[in-house]
Amino acid sequence: MNATAPAAVRAGASADAILGVLPKEVFSPSTVEEAAAVLEEKARASASVGFVGGGTALGLGRPPRRLDAVLRTEHLTRIVEHAPSDQIIVVEAGITLADLQRAVGAHGQRLALDPPLPERRTIGGLLATNGFGPLRTRYGSLRDLIIGVSLVRADGVSAKGGGKVVKNVAGFDLPKMMVGSLGTLGLVATVTFRLHPLPESDVTLVARARTARGVRELASAMRGAQLEPAAVAALLQGRLFDVAIRFEGFPAGVAEQRDRLRQLVGQPPGSDCDVLSETEARAVWERHDALRTAGPLRAKLAFLPAALEALVEGPFAKLMGALGEASFVLYPTLGLGFVAGLPQGAVLVAQAVESVRGSLAGTGGSLVLEEAPDDVRAHADPWGPPPPSFALMRELKNRLDPEGRLNPGRFVGGI
Amino acid sequence: MSVANAPAVTISRDVVARMSALVGAKNCISNPSDLRTYECDGLTSFRVMPGLVVLPASTAEVVAVVKLAWENGLALVARGAGTGLSGGALPVPGCVVVALTRMKRILEVDLENGFLRVQPGVANLDVSKHLGPAGTYYAPDPSSQSVCTIGGNVSENSGGAHCLKYGFTSNHVLGARVVLADGTVVDLGGPALDAPGYDLTGIFVGSEGMLGIVTEVVLRMLRKPQATRTFFATFPSTDEAGNAVSSIIASGVVPAAIEMMDGLAMRAAVAATGVDWPDVGASLLMDVDGPLAEVEHTSRHSVELAREAGALEIRIPKDENERALMWKGRKSAFAAVGRISPNYIVQDGVIPRSTIAEVLHEVTELSKKAGLRVANVFHAGDGNLHPLVLYDARVPGQEKAAEELGGAILRLCLRLGGSITGEHGVGAEKVAYMGEMFTEADLETMQRVRCAFDPERRLNPGKVFPTPRLCGDLPGPYVPHPSELSGEATRG
Ligand SMILES: Cc1cc2nc3c(=O)[nH]c(=O)nc-3n(C[C@H](O)[C@H](O)[C@H](O)COP(=O)(O)OP(=O)(O)OC[C@H]3O[C@@H](n4cnc5c(N)ncnc54)[C@H](O)[C@@H]3O)c2cc1C
Ligand SMILES: Cc1cc2nc3c(=O)[nH]c(=O)nc-3n(C[C@H](O)[C@H](O)[C@H](O)COP(=O)(O)OP(=O)(O)OC[C@H]3O[C@@H](n4cnc5c(N)ncnc54)[C@H](O)[C@@H]3O)c2cc1C
Repeated sequence: MNATAPAAVRAGASADAILGVLPKEVFSPSTVEEAAAVLEEKARASASVGFVGGGTALGLGRPPRRLDAVLRTEHLTRIVEHAPSDQIIVVEAGITLADLQRAVGAHGQRLALDPPLPERRTIGGLLATNGFGPLRTRYGSLRDLIIGVSLVRADGVSAKGGGKVVKNVAGFDLPKMMVGSLGTLGLVATVTFRLHPLPESDVTLVARARTARGVRELASAMRGAQLEPAAVAALLQGRLFDVAIRFEGFPAGVAEQRDRLRQLVGQPPGSDCDVLSETEARAVWERHDALRTAGPLRAKLAFLPAALEALVEGPFAKLMGALGEASFVLYPTLGLGFVAGLPQGAVLVAQAVESVRGSLAGTGGSLVLEEAPDDVRAHADPWGPPPPSFALMRELKNRLDPEGRLNPGRFVGGI
Repeated sequence: MSVANAPAVTISRDVVARMSALVGAKNCISNPSDLRTYECDGLTSFRVMPGLVVLPASTAEVVAVVKLAWENGLALVARGAGTGLSGGALPVPGCVVVALTRMKRILEVDLENGFLRVQPGVANLDVSKHLGPAGTYYAPDPSSQSVCTIGGNVSENSGGAHCLKYGFTSNHVLGARVVLADGTVVDLGGPALDAPGYDLTGIFVGSEGMLGIVTEVVLRMLRKPQATRTFFATFPSTDEAGNAVSSIIASGVVPAAIEMMDGLAMRAAVAATGVDWPDVGASLLMDVDGPLAEVEHTSRHSVELAREAGALEIRIPKDENERALMWKGRKSAFAAVGRISPNYIVQDGVIPRSTIAEVLHEVTELSKKAGLRVANVFHAGDGNLHPLVLYDARVPGQEKAAEELGGAILRLCLRLGGSITGEHGVGAEKVAYMGEMFTEADLETMQRVRCAFDPERRLNPGKVFPTPRLCGDLPGPYVPHPSELSGEATRG
């Protein structure tokens, strides 16, 4: 292939459909420059374009209003730069999280981000959907880890924001703008992250709680004791919450926090809190990942942490009741959770979704459907009501993609 | 470069009277001698007389002021405590300065949900003082924290010594109530995480007063760590100190703060605060915090690494008082330089951390060539340099030479892949360097963001972006030329 070769292109097949909408063409550029050339060409043709990374989160959002072309990032997988002593990495957007972690892991580092499916999820896709896992408890989300971005706009123009140093306030924060923007503002081409050292040791404990209140009290007790867990996730399948808590750091600190946590829980101390072996720990976090990717319906909830009981005892129970094999993953310190299961009737589920939204509305909480069967989608919008700043969001979209050609209609409020 | 003698532009008497009716006569300043107080921020070499200064007391008053300015085509410049060091709050001729210093109430503290809601004029330190009894605090700690305001911090995305571990303002702002240029009030984000839609809060923080006027801010609070360990280490030169920083960080320790000072900066701090520091080439001041057993380990380990790197002496504070004194010495360093030089410029560049030693050598070379002294104080953990360029304005040509030296240091930062500003912002001062760090397309993309918020460019015009640009010139839907349709021509 010579330098001017156009990006590989083929006709869209059924496997390329996004929520049932089939693209006419599929492009797989092998460089960022080729990707920009594709977007420029699509701009000339006034064609609509959707972006696909690992294809693991295409259920998020509405079906595209139009889809002339799909641009796949599967060949944009290079590590552009890794500077171990500066603890930063620059990668192309199509690299999977697992490949990134393997590369930096060899230098005793990691990106402090642990969503499920790391072997398949790409950095671009994670950025576009604001993906996260249990480590968010301590390290924050992608917005707290990204320090630079380069994007290709709808018109094919490449632009960047941020930089390669952790501390930098020059210019507007384009990196944060791209987080969670679901491919509606531009193609994420490369991303720069700050890295953290891999911890020398870690330990996972599981405590059990009968109620959501119990989970919250445990979180509160840990907070009161100034414990600093790296991850806290409560898993509910059936009647009991298994609260998985991981401490990370240097061996002495990890052991001391482990012992203090056991002092806090149960009577006699530690009776209701198991220290897991390495194998058991792996199993509990794998179970977490399995519940986070369960379906066929999965909803993400955001709420004020102290409103947990009111939520769980109220309309949320109705939603759990409307699902077969219902499960709930709860991050009690963050005020985030994921409900999944098999809908027992589309209308029933849609009504439950609406009442949960109603109960969250006053505090700025939200419920977003990450995955849902078509019949549920027919009765419930995946995003719910747009936020109060929606007019400004619409305006931002218009400025960056005035013809509305990037992932049209998929995002909040039909953006 | 100074714009000291920009012509005063006056605002019509009618508008002044109406503004005065909106905020009360004593909160509306139009008398030229009183306006002088507002003609610059902490970057005093840039001065412009504003047309009018108003001090509203509520969101409703801000809205009324903004609408009146909007109707009369007046530019607006928001202002907090005026401690900014890049001319962010520098007026533009004939503008209305909206000073938020009367809006300094803490509106809500929600310990259970870990957030608080404050007005923009609250001083940074007052937030943590207010939270102290509950065992929580607000993490970003700029050295100016006893005076600078939360509104100013939001606009500059301010940092501080402890931002290495805990992040900058932007990592701790959950939401904001903002008055747009036409007087519309918008709530961005809020205490619950991950509201659907774009992260407008993330875009707003650090936008240097150009996207809106903040009238309320939702801040994240953190629980205080169980323990903090501090040590102060002296070194023969910045080489050994820089190596100590590198090896501590490579060992997997994430310091809460790690600050470096060179000998000149240390001598200034001694002169100003009387701290008992020896006359050596460099020093480090480091905090680790977290659970007790963890910090006992990391501090001991870091001290060993500092020794291996060539530390002359390690001091561990006996009590909170001694620790506070060490930090006072460090935090006073900017002002302290005033003791050893009649004038100085504070620079704010960022370099990849691993290049510290190399950069300081180059800075020394540059300073020799310019015949000016440079004192170095900086946040070593994240490579944020604060070279203080010393000069005497009474000596003809020295101010200009100092500005050139500052510029040469910024270019050095860019050459190594760094940034022209780590925390002070671009403001009016660094506009000229933006084109060296970013391409025309990068800047034009940022301008599009600005236009989404402020299409008439009424807010803080002339800051950050080197070339003024109209908003309306967006490409419309593409219409092919007839020759293209017929295949005679293509656009490449
Ligand atoms: C960029 C960045 C870097 C950080 N780095 C570190 C780090 O290196 N180490 C570290 O330890 N932390 C770090 N933090 C903080 C970390 O993300 C968590 O906020 C913190 O560890 C959790 O502390 P906390 O439990 O006190 O909760 P806070 O952060 O203070 O509050 C978070 C939530 O805790 C819950 N909560 C608060 N009070 C109660 C209560 N009484 N009962 C039940 N739940 C309650 C609420 O959900 C609240 O919203 C960082 C934060 C950021 C943004
Ligand atoms: C001695 C000294 C030490 C310093 N140390 C640090 C440091 O360690 N870290 C650091 O980051 N900075 C530091 N600074 C710089 C400065 O203190 C910060 O930039 C601070 O955030 C400015 O706050 P302010 O209230 O003084 O804002 P101002 O200087 O008044 O304004 C700064 C910018 O914010 C805008 N603005 C102010 N209020 C609002 C509002 N309500 N809505 C919209 N826009 C608004 C202004 O238009 C301007 O662009 C230091 C300054 C001094 C003098």
